[in-house]
Amino acid sequence: MSRHALVLALLVAGCGGAPTPPPAGPPARVVSLAPSATEIVYALGAGARLVGVCGQCDRPAEVAQVPRVGGYLAPSVEATLAVRPDLVIAVPSPGNREAVRAIERAGVRVLVVRDRTLGDLWDSIPALAGALGIPEAGDGLVTDLRQRLDGVRARLAGVTPRRVLVVVDHNPLVVVGGGTLQDELITIAGGTNVVRDVGSAWPTITLELVVARAPEVIVDAGMGDEGSARGLFAGLTTVPAVRDGRIVRLRDDAFFRAGPRVADAAVALADAIHPGVLAPEGASREAPPG
Amino acid sequence: MRISARGTYLTPARLAWMTAALAAVLGLSLVGAALLGPVHVSLARALAGGDASPDRVILFRTRLPRVLLASVVGGSLGASGAALQGLLGNPLACPHVLGISGGAAVAGVVALVAGADAVSPLVPLAAFCGALASIAIVSGAARARGRTTPHAVLLVGVVFNALAAAVLMLVNALVSYTQAQGVLFWMMGSLSTQSYGLIAGSAVYSVVGLGWLVLHAHDLNLLTAGEEGAQQLGVDVERTRRSVFVASSLLVGAAVSMSGMIGFVGLIVPHLLRLILGPDHRLLLPASFLGGAAFLVWADTIARTVLAPAELPVGVVTALAGGPFFIFLLRRSLRRSVA
Repeated sequence: MSRHALVLALLVAGCGGAPTPPPAGPPARVVSLAPSATEIVYALGAGARLVGVCGQCDRPAEVAQVPRVGGYLAPSVEATLAVRPDLVIAVPSPGNREAVRAIERAGVRVLVVRDRTLGDLWDSIPALAGALGIPEAGDGLVTDLRQRLDGVRARLAGVTPRRVLVVVDHNPLVVVGGGTLQDELITIAGGTNVVRDVGSAWPTITLELVVARAPEVIVDAGMGDEGSARGLFAGLTTVPAVRDGRIVRLRDDAFFRAGPRVADAAVALADAIHPGVLAPEGASREAPPG
Repeated sequence: MRISARGTYLTPARLAWMTAALAAVLGLSLVGAALLGPVHVSLARALAGGDASPDRVILFRTRLPRVLLASVVGGSLGASGAALQGLLGNPLACPHVLGISGGAAVAGVVALVAGADAVSPLVPLAAFCGALASIAIVSGAARARGRTTPHAVLLVGVVFNALAAAVLMLVNALVSYTQAQGVLFWMMGSLSTQSYGLIAGSAVYSVVGLGWLVLHAHDLNLLTAGEEGAQQLGVDVERTRRSVFVASSLLVGAAVSMSGMIGFVGLIVPHLLRLILGPDHRLLLPASFLGGAAFLVWADTIARTVLAPAELPVGVVTALAGGPFFIFLLRRSLRRSVA
């Protein structure tokens, strides 16, 4: 065999064949490239198997010990492969598509789960639990979360829903639209999203639409400080939320994640929309750390 | 290169007549745009009703401030574009190409990331200082032995602008998702409802800037015809350049600090008006202000209504509406000059 042919043969062997034999049994080295998926893995009791997470994966607290393999929407292929995972979990996004494909081409098993709505959550938990070889933990988590959300619904059953606007950014004014997890949480928390029909998931709207839709509660889930939303809406005296001083801050990252803390987010949101109805004996508005 | 168009001799009567006509167009645009929006508003109810009337709140607290802001921003961008094109003798000169808006945006974003609130007046103030600092850096870097060469200013400006864009992208990559939205605002530009106080403040800056430019209109005319000739006719070329730079950055600072980087207005409006009205800066500068104001008022009206109740970024409209129309006018004038 000539030298060229040998090199060629080595190259073909190196590219085509699987470099490591596929592991028998459930994956033991898992990388999660999304904060929501990381939280689900921990909630399933498989957090110890995580050998890499994305830079934005900040919950639960134990995850701080796990090596980072790049950003949520910009994972590093090399850093991911370097921790020798046998399962990589990602969410569909144009930002990570190329990287996820490259990881797949390198022979690593990739599981893509969606994280936009509650329906996605009910699908992604069993999918993750199945892939991790612990399907019964997935069923348990889904049942538990569904029960807790039903509990919130039940306790708000007699309450008249309030017209709600949830603001995520002030300038330009970006709000929660229809078809999102956040819109579903508003409904569960005893609200009606006044801009559900506006057309996109996170629409930019004009201030005059706020006047026209006249929300009874404005929930400010944006980054700005306390006074900023009040200043923005101050002149809109005909809006009930402004008139009655019902502009509420919601600083809870659970609200933005289709993960195991959705029920906590629903409780926090219900407290913002209907203060005092859920827990008269002063349940905290803070999300629990885990 | 020389920017040329139909040369009509500018008499005081023509100046007054054209300025009044454009002012009337702007006035009508303000009224028309205030009556159009995603929500139907009854003027009668708005005027008759008290503070309890939603029509009144929509008209006077949300729509009118925004329409006025659009006019201040559009006017500032138009006038500064006209002045910079004349000063540098280059048809591509505009606040964006020269890096003034980029510098303003970087300063605004830095203030934002440093913890200033998105709707506090601190952010526009920082952006305003950023505009002044950028023009100082750009014109300073393009100066040698006390002389500023126009093409050096353009080159330094282009590089500075790319640098500013890179800084914005860097910040965008480093900050959290919600803060990244704020960075995007500066890069795309958007008009939102601001308080009358802030709008009046930026209007003061842009009117001072415009007045300053108009005082130099005659010198700008001579400069456009050629630097040497202007010098022989007694124009202090360096001083004129400095004045026009500072006045332009006043205008751009007022605009960008309130609205981010809205493209195309500063480039297209002056060219458009030069093609229609001729190159005399005594008319062109106020006309570009009034025309730029009217243009942005209508572009924003389209942005507010076309996808109603959702809103479109106004920069999309200025580029989509302005670009093709500009090429059409340019082709017409090219054909005429060849024939």
